[in-house]
This record gives sequence, structure tokens and C-alpha cells, in this order.
Amino acid sequence: MIVATEVTMTSRRPAWVGGVLSLVMLMAANAAAHHSFAVFDHTRTLTIRGTVTRFQWTNPHGFLEMDVPQPDGSTKHYSVELTSINMMQRVGWRSNMIKAGDKVSAVVAPLLSGEPVGLGLEVTMADGTTKALPVPNVGSFKRATETQ
Amino acid sequence: MKTRQLVWSLPLVALAAVVVMQSGARAQSKPVSVPDITGSWERHGAGPGARAGGPRDATIPPPAPQPQLKPQYAKEWQDRIMAGRAADAKGEPLATNYTDCLPDGMPTMMGAMFPMEILQSRGQVTIIEEAFTQVRRILMDKPQKSFEDVEPGFYGHSVGRWDGDTLVVDTIGIKETVRFQNMPHSPQMRIKERMKLVSPNVLWNEITIEDPVVFEKPHTYTVAYRRMPDYTLLEYICEDNREYADDKGRQKIRIN
Repeated sequence: MIVATEVTMTSRRPAWVGGVLSLVMLMAANAAAHHSFAVFDHTRTLTIRGTVTRFQWTNPHGFLEMDVPQPDGSTKHYSVELTSINMMQRVGWRSNMIKAGDKVSAVVAPLLSGEPVGLGLEVTMADGTTKALPVPNVGSFKRATETQ
Repeated sequence: MKTRQLVWSLPLVALAAVVVMQSGARAQSKPVSVPDITGSWERHGAGPGARAGGPRDATIPPPAPQPQLKPQYAKEWQDRIMAGRAADAKGEPLATNYTDCLPDGMPTMMGAMFPMEILQSRGQVTIIEEAFTQVRRILMDKPQKSFEDVEPGFYGHSVGRWDGDTLVVDTIGIKETVRFQNMPHSPQMRIKERMKLVSPNVLWNEITIEDPVVFEKPHTYTVAYRRMPDYTLLEYICEDNREYADDKGRQKIRIN
């Protein structure tokens, strides 16, 4: 049972491309986000599967707390940071969509620091439906293909 | 017979008097010539790709010009922007007011990151920004105070008046820590706004920031909002803010 798969994607762009991109990202972020998402890895995503311990419906951000079984039989706790619940509600998210005990999976942009926190990009619920999070400038997060 | 007619007609006369009095009061509090801008609004024409391709939408205002700061302040501003970019590139963003869940304040809140509600009532126009539940009160037809008489805050002291179909607002008293696009400003900053419907459902707000200490010349830009006829603002409480500034001023996340 593989429960957490990381695929690292690296790419090298000329420095000026990065400069222009970061300027554009800065402007876009200013237009739509309160908080900097620069703490999250923009070059890879992680798919985590586990059991929900709490679906926290709060501002400034919601959180999906998950216990994720590891290959060695242990359990690792992950916090999936979501957007503002106001943004989530405006695109159809509801506080009762996920409950403690649900088996879910989430595609996250992991913290660069390596700590077990990721920015949620989409969640596949217990019933199999997948719902995206309204992350501003979501295209700046490179999706890795999950391999199991 | 005459008496009975009189008895019947008395309540009618009283009713008519009430109707006349009520309509008179309504006319006094809100003249018919004042545009109705009450309701929910969202930012119109902002964000990536808003102006890309296709014929130009005349209800989308032109992009903001570059602010003209005096050299010493321009340098401070530029340095701050570059430091922010370098920190982002390292994945260690600098903490901002948002890190502490502090509201935008003026004039950033008029960028309407989240929907915004305008309420017109007697003697006051109230603007509520959903994010952080920011509230500003525009006192109508009142004189502006002097800088010395206004304590610094996030929203400042605002007075307004209708100039024909345009709501003209003057705001002073913004804290120096409350910054628009990271720009420095002095206690002498004054924000002037001109709000006008450019179509039945699109409101423009031409914002001019004056600051004789920091700016070479006033900085004017326009933001647009479109009506959200069926939207009620949601509550916004910073109930569990896991972000914090570390001892080096970097934004960090508390790990639960």
C-alpha cells in the first residue's frame, strides 16, 4: 500500500523568465490572495491518502487534517491548508462535505521546509468525487503525475 | 347623514396625511436624483487575462499608471519590493499585515479582493468588505476634519457628498503601517474617491492618493465593480490563523 507518493519535477529556466514570472505572480497574488503561497513548492505536487481527523471550516484558511498510513505501518499526520472558506463557499464547497473518519485523498503543494503541511489543490472525497480548491493563480503550481 | 360621511372620511384624511408625511420624509432622506448603489459588488475587470484578447470592454478601466514617488521614497519602496521578491524566490516570504490577519485598510480594501457591500442610509454611506469584515463609514455632507483632529487608523475619517451622479469622498487619517502596494506614506496622505455608475450594473471608483511628503504628484487609478444582485456577504472571522512572523520577519506556518 503506497499512501504518499512524491514526484519531484525540476526544470531550469533562464533567470529573466523567472523574474518576469515572479513579477506576474506577484501582481496576480496581490489581486487575489491575502497570504503568500511562496512557502509551498511550486515545482511538484504530492498526493496523500488517508483518514480525515478534522475538516476545519475556519478563516483565514480552512484545514483538512489527515492521518496518513505509511509503508512501514506507522501513521503520519498531515495538515492540508485550504483557501479562505469564503472563496470555497463561493465555488460550492460546504462544511458538511467531509467528516472525520472519511477516507479521502488530496493533491497538495508541499511545504518547501519538508514539514507535513501542503496547500490543497484538489480533494477526492469518500464518495469518489473530486473537487478543486479555488487557489489563486493555481496554474503556477506544477502538477506531478502520481506513480504508485 | 352629513355626520356619518364625516366619520367615514376622517380615517381617510388621516391616512392620506400619513402617506404624505412618509413620502416627504423619504424624499428628504434620499433625493430621487441620487443614484442607487446599495447592494453587493465584486471587482470587475481585474486579474490575469481580464484584458487579454477580444475587443476592449468599455466598462473595464485602463490599467493604473506607475506611482511617482520622490526619489528617497522611491528607493525605499523599490528596495522593499526587491527584498520581497528575493524572499519569495527563496520560499521564505516576508511577513505582512496579512500574516497577523490584519485588514487591508484604505485604500487597498477598495480593491475588493472579496465582494463588497454598499449601504446608503440617511447621512451616511457604509462600505463593507467581506474579507476581514472591514467597515468604513462615509459621513455625508459633513466638513472634513483637520489632520491633527483625526487619530490614525485602518479606514481613516471619510466625508462624502453627491456631485451630481458622482459620490465624492475624502479620507484622511491612515496609519503609516497601513500600506497600499507596499508604498510608504506620511500622515498627510489624503485619499479622494469619485464613484460613479458607468452602466446600470458597473460602478467605477476613481481613486487619487495625495501625499505632498512622499509623492511627486498625486497617484490616480480606477477600479470597477459589478453588481452581484443575488449575493449576501459572508462572515469572515480570523478564527484560526496558523501563520506568524518569526524573529527574522519571515512568514511561517504553525505546525499542528
